Amino acid sequence: MPITLMADTTDIEIRLRKLSRAFSEGKHVHQVLHGIDADFARGETIAIRGRSGSGKSTLLNLIAGIDVPDAGSIEVSGIDITKLSERDRTLFRRKHVGFVYQAFNLVPTLTVADNIRLVLELNEVTRIDANARIRELLDAVELSDRADSFPDILSGGEQQRVAIARALCHGPAVLLADEPTGNLDDATADAVLRLLDQLVRAAGGTMLIATHSARVARFCDCSLTLAAGKLMAE
Amino acid sequence: MPVIYRASLSYLLRHPWQLTLAVVGICIGVAVIVAVDLANSSARKAFLLSMDAITGVATHQVIGGPAGLDETLYRELRVARGLTNIAPVVEGYGDAPSGPVRIFGVDVFAERAMERFADLDSVATDDDPTSLIGDLLTEPGAALVSEATAAALGLRRGDMIELVTAGRVHAARIIGIFESTGGAADDVLLTDVATAQVWLNQPGRLTRIDARLGDHPDAVARFQEILPAGTRLLSAAGRTRATTEMSTAFMTNLTAMSLLALLVGLFLIYNSVSFSVLQRRGLIGVLRALGITRRQAFTLVVVESAGIGLIASVIGVLVGIGLGERLLVLVSQSINDLYFRVNVTAVDVSGLSITKGMLAGIAASTLAAAVPAFEAAAYPPRLALLRSTVEHRARHLVPLIAGLGVLTLLVAAATLWSSARSLVAGLAAVFLVIFGFAMCIPLAVRGLAILFERPGRHLAGLPGAMAISGIATSLSRTGVAIVALAVAVSATIGVSVMVDSFRGSVSAWLERSLQADVYVGAQGGPLDPEVIADLAALPGVAHVSSSRRARFEYTGGQTDVLAIDMAPGSYAGTEIIDSLDVDVWRAFDAGDAVLVSEPYAYQHEVAPGDTITLPTTSGDRIFPIVAIYQSYDVSASAILMSRDTYDRYWDDTAIDSIGLYLDEGANADAIIAMATAIAANRQALRARSNSDIRVLSLEIFDRTFIITDVLYWLATGVALIGILSAMLALQLERARDLAVLRALGMTPAELGGMITLQTGAIGLFSGLAALPLGVAMAYILIDVINRRAFGWQIDMDVGAGVLVSAVLFAVLAAVVAGLYPAWRAANSRPALAMREE
Repeated sequence: MPITLMADTTDIEIRLRKLSRAFSEGKHVHQVLHGIDADFARGETIAIRGRSGSGKSTLLNLIAGIDVPDAGSIEVSGIDITKLSERDRTLFRRKHVGFVYQAFNLVPTLTVADNIRLVLELNEVTRIDANARIRELLDAVELSDRADSFPDILSGGEQQRVAIARALCHGPAVLLADEPTGNLDDATADAVLRLLDQLVRAAGGTMLIATHSARVARFCDCSLTLAAGKLMAE
Repeated sequence: MPVIYRASLSYLLRHPWQLTLAVVGICIGVAVIVAVDLANSSARKAFLLSMDAITGVATHQVIGGPAGLDETLYRELRVARGLTNIAPVVEGYGDAPSGPVRIFGVDVFAERAMERFADLDSVATDDDPTSLIGDLLTEPGAALVSEATAAALGLRRGDMIELVTAGRVHAARIIGIFESTGGAADDVLLTDVATAQVWLNQPGRLTRIDARLGDHPDAVARFQEILPAGTRLLSAAGRTRATTEMSTAFMTNLTAMSLLALLVGLFLIYNSVSFSVLQRRGLIGVLRALGITRRQAFTLVVVESAGIGLIASVIGVLVGIGLGERLLVLVSQSINDLYFRVNVTAVDVSGLSITKGMLAGIAASTLAAAVPAFEAAAYPPRLALLRSTVEHRARHLVPLIAGLGVLTLLVAAATLWSSARSLVAGLAAVFLVIFGFAMCIPLAVRGLAILFERPGRHLAGLPGAMAISGIATSLSRTGVAIVALAVAVSATIGVSVMVDSFRGSVSAWLERSLQADVYVGAQGGPLDPEVIADLAALPGVAHVSSSRRARFEYTGGQTDVLAIDMAPGSYAGTEIIDSLDVDVWRAFDAGDAVLVSEPYAYQHEVAPGDTITLPTTSGDRIFPIVAIYQSYDVSASAILMSRDTYDRYWDDTAIDSIGLYLDEGANADAIIAMATAIAANRQALRARSNSDIRVLSLEIFDRTFIITDVLYWLATGVALIGILSAMLALQLERARDLAVLRALGMTPAELGGMITLQTGAIGLFSGLAALPLGVAMAYILIDVINRRAFGWQIDMDVGAGVLVSAVLFAVLAAVVAGLYPAWRAANSRPALAMREE
């Protein structure tokens, strides 16, 4: 039986079926994900917990279409992305997915505003609308005064807030966050998580957070554990 | 500008040294291409312009044998036949105090039909123009010069200048100054036919008769019919074309040399672009994760590189124009030495040359970026593509690339084998050989690194071993730098071996062929017969040989005939390469048999047993070829004929130079002094001992190759920038590794030493890799390019000194290029480096 977090199946945003992924290390094959079945409902925030190397990031990469499974299917917003070409997966990700990373991964050669604009431009948002959206998001993450700053002079918390703004700017259906507070102190981490939760809920998106922290999981609607290639309810 | 391009631009601006080196590398390549093209085209254009200027509207020219035409022919055509569209010309060269001048003697009345550079009716004068024409006709030594010449020499009307022709001094008086556009007539001294005949010692003779016949075949045929035997009617445009084509091979070779600089620049930009891609693999991974497609990633890198190419090309074009000015001096010097007189002082900046340079720069940059761009597009949208992944891929590709290299070498061999005589195909094969070898170098470097790791450990302990093995483990970076330096060094080997071998062959040829003890001639004209007789009678002179060079023009080409009267026992000075099974010298002396030089035989595809048809005074005559002889003369493509044979068929008694064979014990310097004295007041002689001529000849030889030296030093400069760029890139890449070594207790000096050892090893590997490529290039340059371009066969002589010094040079160059990166790495702050990572 798939793990289903909401009874109403019409609201399912992400559907995983018999999802498997293995990596070869020389002659040894490491089965990271092993026949995962799961449904994630629209508007939910889910924590995926597990130890290092348990496959949390791999699962997020598969859902984002960054990686492809060895077997199984992934349906996001009703689209089976495993059937898409590399290019179509890229275009799908561009439009429907937002990503927040542990290491922020802002483009160091672009200003805060341009980091956000990059995604809006890829989604062909007009300049006027993009400017308005950037202002709105920077207000939301309380970085309006840093719009023209480059990332390298921002603190870790500030950089992550920019990354959140960038991830949400185009209104993605799914937000994937991979250890988003791994590089932050507790107080900053709490602030970032609150912000993330608030913005995702306001946008009505679905958020999956990969984390090994119980503290992070507390901010989510529910928490699942990934172990031995299987996803289990806690 | 789209944000992703702004991100790219911003990255480049944040790494100014990397950007600068890439720009400089491609800039030098473009500059050399533009400079060579401008110098070539300016020299050619100046020549064509001057030919157009002195040809005017004449469509055809009547020429005679070596002694020109009898002037009575002109009178007959003009008076008896009533032709008005013809004009006589007496043309030659003399030395003015400012340098060589073209003496151009015309009939002022006939000139109106030719519309030449000087409209005599509008020549600047305060007097009546008719008086000017009268002066030109009646005053001995009266001449006109162009405005530019007058300004350059500070001449005014009425000034006198001293003019030396064929060793005789004449006085020329400037009676007028004419307008000249484009500098076409800047070396012309315009005078009357009679004055020119006196100056050039051609009494009663004309150099040619210009005719305005149009293109109608009937008119040309009718004119042809009335010309006597021993004269030929040639199209003016055809004569100009035939002369300019003589220098085509020379110019093609220069263009090839300029492409070599761009080729090395291509490696450099590949290095820079692939490094910038490698360095941004994380960033590209992020962009891919954010939704940029592979095509967008590919386009981003290519556009970025094309942008660098555009900027570098613009700067390169500007630098090239400046460089072209300097190169023009060398090119025109060589053309003057080897082919024809050209008077050109400023480059003519043509849009075509600029376009060629721009296109070459942008195309090279885009091409060089193609591989890194594919690499960027292939990056999966992940965040942690490790450096080791890139090197792992590079290691797997190395054998494959070497295999492709071998395949390319086979294509080069097939091209050489199948292309027969094509110079362009020969040059294409050179580039294929370079590419083929270059692709094999990374595999060779890997082997060399394994071989040298143990000596490195012995020399500098573990850091020494790390330095050497680091070259192989960072092959994606070091490989390209080594290839760039190896290609540049191999070019120096190839060109040095070729020049040294050529020089050796020329030197041996001079040693053998200069049989006389003293050679005597006069600048720009034949010797006075009375002077020759007096010189032959000098005490101490045992025998005299003589030489006359005559040029025969025909439709589409020209041939030099060397008429010689050899001294007894001097025949051995002419080395026979191939001959019929007969007594060559008996046939040469007694019959009509001729010998042809090796370049002539190659260019005209003739061999002993074939015949040559030459226009004699009494019409065309066939001469049998009995042998091919070796010659590295400046005008080596020639037919050697005995003086007796020459005298039988041509009405020309002139002798250009003589060789004096001295009695044993006679002093050459004393004979030269006596010869000069005996000819004083009659003719200024150029008398030199054979050893002086050897020295002078080799000086001219060396001068011809200055331009080659300049070009390959420029290519080497680009390679050095490549090494500097690669080493800086490596140190930046390895900043964290180096910081860890510093943190573990390695001093800045030790770290600097380790990096210097690594750059030294890179130089050594480049030098070693350059040896086989250099020798292969030398072989092709000597046996294919020189042969196809000039027809010379040269004995290849690979001196150990050239090879050893090339390797040492590569090591030294790499160490010098690596000093700054070593200093920078040694002085970096380890804490900062580790934090930045």
